[in-house]
Amino acid sequence: MEKNLDRVMEEVVSQPGVFGCVFVDHQGLCLGAKGKASTESAGLIAAIAEQAAKLEPHSGAPIIALENDDKTCIIQRTGTITGAIYKNKHS
Amino acid sequence: MERIPGQTGHLLLNEEGAVLASSGDLENDEKSAVIIMGLMNLSSYVDKTAFPEEGFKKLSITYDKHCYIICLSNRKVHVVKKTINGDNSNVAS
Repeated sequence: MEKNLDRVMEEVVSQPGVFGCVFVDHQGLCLGAKGKASTESAGLIAAIAEQAAKLEPHSGAPIIALENDDKTCIIQRTGTITGAIYKNKHS
Repeated sequence: MERIPGQTGHLLLNEEGAVLASSGDLENDEKSAVIIMGLMNLSSYVDKTAFPEEGFKKLSITYDKHCYIICLSNRKVHVVKKTINGDNSNVAS
């Protein structure tokens, strides 16, 4: 399983503009991180996905995007796993 | 706010999360206000290695057919709920 996740993360960070990604389980524990991403924010990413899901509990998992001038952090939960992708806007 | 294309509701909150103004789908929606303030507080601590700059400027929550766009301006939190039409992606804009 770890090998599969590792392969997926490798693929994610090889996409244009992507400079990091983190995957987290439903408890907020880090499953893996690649690129310029710290494993420390795993719990926070799970918490953000959980908080956003409360907004419309019957509408399914939303995509959360945090943006500043040049970077974007995209978070989405699928089943019990939450993924966060860090992207550069201009690339 | 009413002139934003596809807009179905808006909320204006102060820094404490109290509703200052609201309209449409979000009229007097204090429950959403509390959730959004919680999200804003959480998002200020996201990954300092990847995002060393102070905080984010825009937060969007996108569902299949609608989205919420949130930003902080003049010490007030502006929230707009809008529908997504066709290929006009709100996340990228």
